[in-house]
Amino acid sequence: MSSPAPDQHPTAGGDPEALPYAPLEGRFDEAFAQSGRPHSHTEGMIESLNGLGSQRLQALGERRDTIFMQRGITFDSTEPDGQTRDRPFPLDLVPRVISAAEWEYISSGVQQRVQALNRFVADVYGDREIIRDGIVPWRLVATRPGFARVADGLEPPNGVWCHVSGCDLVRDNNGIWRVLEDNVRVPSGISYVLENRIAMGRIVPELFAGYAVRPVANYPELLLDALLAAAPTRVGRPTVVVWTPGPANSAYFEHAFLARQMGVELVEGSDLVVRDAACYMKTTNGLRRVDAIYRRIDEDFIDPLELRADSVLGVPGLMRAYREGNVSIANAVGTGVADDKAIYHFVPDMIRYYLNEEPVIANVPTWLLEDPEQRDYVEERIDKMVVKPTGEAGGKGVFIGPSASDEEVARQRDLIAEDPGNWIAQEVIWLSCAPTLVGGGEMAPRCVDLRPFAVYGDEIEIVPGGLTRVAMREGSMIVNSSQGGGSKDTWVLGGDGGRGRPHHDFDPPTMPDLPQVGWTEQGQQQQQGSR
Amino acid sequence: MLARIAHDLYWLGRHIARAEHTARMLDGLFQVELEGGADDPRSVSLSWESVVVVMGAGSLAQPTGRSLRDDVVERLTSDRSNAVSIVSSVGAAREGARRLRDTIPAEAWEALNTFNLELQQRLRDGDVGTGSQSIYSYVKESSALYWGLAAATMQRDDAHSFLFAGGRIEAAAMVLRMLRVALPPVRPTDDEGSEIPRRDGNALALLRAVGGFQAFMRSAAAPPRAEPVARFLLFERAFPDSVAASTDFLHRMLSRADSEPGGSTAALRLARLIADLELRRRSELGPDELPTAFREIQHELEQVEREIHSRYFGGDLDIPQRATA
Repeated sequence: MSSPAPDQHPTAGGDPEALPYAPLEGRFDEAFAQSGRPHSHTEGMIESLNGLGSQRLQALGERRDTIFMQRGITFDSTEPDGQTRDRPFPLDLVPRVISAAEWEYISSGVQQRVQALNRFVADVYGDREIIRDGIVPWRLVATRPGFARVADGLEPPNGVWCHVSGCDLVRDNNGIWRVLEDNVRVPSGISYVLENRIAMGRIVPELFAGYAVRPVANYPELLLDALLAAAPTRVGRPTVVVWTPGPANSAYFEHAFLARQMGVELVEGSDLVVRDAACYMKTTNGLRRVDAIYRRIDEDFIDPLELRADSVLGVPGLMRAYREGNVSIANAVGTGVADDKAIYHFVPDMIRYYLNEEPVIANVPTWLLEDPEQRDYVEERIDKMVVKPTGEAGGKGVFIGPSASDEEVARQRDLIAEDPGNWIAQEVIWLSCAPTLVGGGEMAPRCVDLRPFAVYGDEIEIVPGGLTRVAMREGSMIVNSSQGGGSKDTWVLGGDGGRGRPHHDFDPPTMPDLPQVGWTEQGQQQQQGSR
Repeated sequence: MLARIAHDLYWLGRHIARAEHTARMLDGLFQVELEGGADDPRSVSLSWESVVVVMGAGSLAQPTGRSLRDDVVERLTSDRSNAVSIVSSVGAAREGARRLRDTIPAEAWEALNTFNLELQQRLRDGDVGTGSQSIYSYVKESSALYWGLAAATMQRDDAHSFLFAGGRIEAAAMVLRMLRVALPPVRPTDDEGSEIPRRDGNALALLRAVGGFQAFMRSAAAPPRAEPVARFLLFERAFPDSVAASTDFLHRMLSRADSEPGGSTAALRLARLIADLELRRRSELGPDELPTAFREIQHELEQVEREIHSRYFGGDLDIPQRATA
């Protein structure tokens, strides 16, 4: 594909530094139409980028890395040599812009999905109506690694199981949104959404000119409200804590960030203790009752008495306190059953079953390899498929047919034959691309996805935007940050089309001018007179 | 000590605190400006006009061809002809310190001198011109460095008292000014539904600007809405930039420096203000009463300023006529 002709570019004529960019042929581009012109809602942002020029952008990129290292916004990345290093979280300076109308569509789709998933979890550990009505097979549900027998018969205080969830969305060649997977266990990444926005404001405030970008900064408040709402009813304001496995965890930064922003304690397992089926934390003033725990630790580890006995991170007796209704845990124990990749296949049916609605955003076509017929179909065209292990997250063990070698294909076939129930296959979705700064201050198309975050308190709230992850390698579709992916600040524009901010009448109080220093000769005389 | 020296120390403290709070306010507004839209649950009405009102920095007339933002930012940051710009405040602090070199610790003087030079250098390099607010972080950090060195190395004598008294009274005055502008009276024509979220948004922006967000979240048993935030910034003694903490500290400094604090109208008046703040803390404050409370407290603080000038420096406080008339 050749570069667009100069006259097609909005600022190419006026600015010698304008960044050349050619959308990838055949792919949907988030910022440009195939003609090479920006979409109407990205035009202003692209113009500002061109105004900065590639040299300045390169310099700003270095400044960004310094800021992130200084603020400690890093993650562990595995280098090609196998070493793990602390690296600045790679934020791309070109934001992803989502129009108000598009966001309306996305958020209604995510909301619907989260609601259905929550109903599903409640049902699976409750009356199992969806199973009795034959929509989801019981054998599949009960064999999921995320299915928690200990949660059977539980009822969380306000009926919410999935307090915090994230849906991974992608867009195909035609710009159609699809859900790639659901995360209702311990979705991470929200701290990067908030830190990215702060960093963008500090590094490239020019880009915001003329846009009313919907704020994301109130997320910790939404989360705190949801946790307070989930807490068992007791006298006074409930005590909320964030539970982290510890500083060795790759998302520790996020755990600390959320605790700090919510003004609550960040606890580890050894800080918590259960007495008489109630949970307490050890403070300098003795034990203090804990009402709601936002756990950022896998549920297998939370109580060695009832779950994994070898867990040294857990709190003995916590499940008992939980079952007695003396402490809330978010997300609830057992939600993992809903984001299993084999259950994903059934989510559209759940939406129809529980909500009596058609899914707003469709799934990616998926095959369950446990089913011999589906397996044969997939085996025949495995080089055109993506194969994923059902119980994993973070892009681990994902097989991408089109880019796999013969050897890899053979190995994958063996793996499937070994345990077909552990695998699903999906049609390859050619992810949409977005202009991204690559080496040398140039802009090139790179694949992106989107993870909006939903918080379920009294109702489902969705943070405008979410985490846009970007594959930094050319042609790659793996966006996971543990595998070299980066991120973009994601802008959702205000309802007025995003141009300009609302005007408020301004009616200021009258205020005296600031006093000025006033040592005078006359003052000196008065001084002598008065004392 | 000499009244002139005490006066210069007091104003040195005021100028540094003024520069710091101006930087906090502008930084906060840059953040506000990046976000916000009509359909947000909490919109923010703070604007570049508001800053001008806080500073009382003259008319809003703007030269043609420039945005109000660029104009206000320049006027309050780098404009030397404006006495309340950051560069003027830091310059005035440095000039004051030059006359006090035998009184303030050498390390603090060097930090302030470097602050002044580096600030000018950064402004020449166009750090503000390109829209980055890093200059404001620099101002915050440099003033913290100055206060830290002074606190660590200064003899606790009258000089220390007047320097820190100046810093605290300026902080209290600036926080009150910001509160008044961020939470103006509810107009009778306003419909409640839109007015309340706007005040909440402003309160949160202000809380973040003065660096009190985490302190608030950890101490208050309430979400960051207008009323609890206003109460926090007025009455919370454990938060160092609150009006109550500043006036407490100021009172300690004056009581220590004054040979006869019981006979000092400045100290007495201040003690009355402190008691008044404590009484107000113990009573309910409706949304309508907040702006009145701000105004009354600000007025009383201004009287304290005047008393300090006449008791210790023997001169009248120079508040420009235009605004007080």
